[in-house]
Amino acid sequence: MASFGRFIRLAVGACVFLLVIAASVPCNAQQVNPTASSVKEQQLLQELNRIQGRVSIPDQRSGVLEQPAGRDWREFRNVTLRWIGGIAILGMIAVMVIFYLTRGMVRLESGRSGRTIVRFRAFERFVHWMTASCFIVLAISGLNITFGRPLLLPLIGFEAFSEWSQWAKYAHNYLSFPFTIGVVLIFLMWIAGNIPNKVDVEWLKRGGGIVGHDHPPAYRFNAGQKAIYWIVVMGGGAVAVTGYELMFPFYLSGIEGMQLAQIVHSVVSVLFIAAMLAHIYIGTIGMEGAFDAMGTGEVDLNWAKEHHSLWVEEELAKGPSSGSSPRPVAAE
Amino acid sequence: MARMKFLCDADRCIECNACVTACKNEHEVPWGINRRRVVTINDGKPGERSVSMACMHCTDAPCAAVCPVNCFYTTADGVVLHSKDLCIGCGYCFYACPFGAPQYPKVGNFGSRGKMDKCTFCAGGPEADGSQEEYEKYGANRLAEGKLPLCAEMCSTKSLLAGDGEIIAQIYKERVMKRGYGSGAWGWKTAYRETIES
Amino acid sequence: MKAFLAALLFAAIAAVGVSILLNAIQEPSSVAFTTGGARVGDPGHNLVGPNG
Repeated sequence: MASFGRFIRLAVGACVFLLVIAASVPCNAQQVNPTASSVKEQQLLQELNRIQGRVSIPDQRSGVLEQPAGRDWREFRNVTLRWIGGIAILGMIAVMVIFYLTRGMVRLESGRSGRTIVRFRAFERFVHWMTASCFIVLAISGLNITFGRPLLLPLIGFEAFSEWSQWAKYAHNYLSFPFTIGVVLIFLMWIAGNIPNKVDVEWLKRGGGIVGHDHPPAYRFNAGQKAIYWIVVMGGGAVAVTGYELMFPFYLSGIEGMQLAQIVHSVVSVLFIAAMLAHIYIGTIGMEGAFDAMGTGEVDLNWAKEHHSLWVEEELAKGPSSGSSPRPVAAE
Repeated sequence: MARMKFLCDADRCIECNACVTACKNEHEVPWGINRRRVVTINDGKPGERSVSMACMHCTDAPCAAVCPVNCFYTTADGVVLHSKDLCIGCGYCFYACPFGAPQYPKVGNFGSRGKMDKCTFCAGGPEADGSQEEYEKYGANRLAEGKLPLCAEMCSTKSLLAGDGEIIAQIYKERVMKRGYGSGAWGWKTAYRETIES
Repeated sequence: MKAFLAALLFAAIAAVGVSILLNAIQEPSSVAFTTGGARVGDPGHNLVGPNG
């Protein structure tokens, strides 16, 4: 009996010994990857072009782990936008210079008559100048954001440039409000006179007085002015909407929306600036007698007959009580 | 010269937020500014993964490229820092950053969003190393004392690694080899244009 | 000339007025990105200055 017990103890001991030996050998054949079913970074980037998850902090934007779209936006903003802006603005300036040197100022063929007719009332001029002066400041401060670093910073140094940019940014953000009010008022005030019609087609076909020396008839606003009107209303509307989106970040959209808002805002702005340069040109040195319209509000009668003949007919038909009948220029 | 990098081993991160707490404490980061955060993908579902994210200190940093006033600079260690004196708070760096690192003290962008703040790799800013002004503007400067960022030091599972890019890549490769799996170094392709083959 | 000066004046006043209004409704991140129950005591002013 005792030898059987010794045999059992020996057998059990041997089994336990073998078990211990077996357990200590690493099981390479059954290596487990506990994260096999987890998401992979490249997979998420390919599917959604962003990686987003849950965070425990109230700032929900921090849930976006990676947004590679920022890389494309950087490329647009640093490279593409500077090309578009450079070509549009410098190109427009070059065209204007060449045009002025070849065509020169559009002269008043029959000379000044000495009699004037009211073209724009005081309120209209007020709205125009408010919008225009805000536009100048907005344009300069806006161009500073895109072109200031490569062009101006090397000239005035970091501290001065930062201080200037800080104030430019305040001016840009706050003057946007009177600018937007101005654009809305312009839209309402002059919508009646800026609907395109057949007279505009004829005006364009005859070169508008700027290509060649014709004097095609026009109502209060000719086709070129109507183009400027719609550029201001639509361009101004676009920059206002996207500008406010940028001023109230993430109120309306996520980060891709903000990047898109900046893209639209900047592209429309630089094209808008190019168009306004042409408008400023024609209203100042491009055309004799044009500035009076916005300057004093009264234009020479001959100027009106040469450039806006149909409008003059309408105004004169209204009769002397309308206040816009021609009268001699007051001595100033 | 060492090129400093972060690496979050997403297979080890347990979302304990020790890194976040360490950073908040070390730099006395005020409420609402989140220099480091832990993002959990597929939370609660099979395949849930957590990653700790702050500024990755990218090669060719997009934030530095788009800044209108050029207030960023990269140190010799590859750490991307910026000057709060020059910053105008325009918010562009946030639109460019792939990782959402820039933080702003104000929400609305009228005027300014306030001075941008972000993870500094515990390397302070342009002020004198270890000075009171530096601490008040940029937080602690551990690198100048020869220490590594506190988030990685405090990580409970050593999933967040910070330091010389070559060394931490090596550590990660050894881990992947030893345990037989690894999801890769999250964010490295975007930040440093390289991957760690696993 | 009067219209032009009036325009500049109105624009300046509008800009200043808007700046006052918007700064009054500006939300610091210490309020926007914290939940009500967490706001006990001072939000801290390191890194953001006294006005952050």
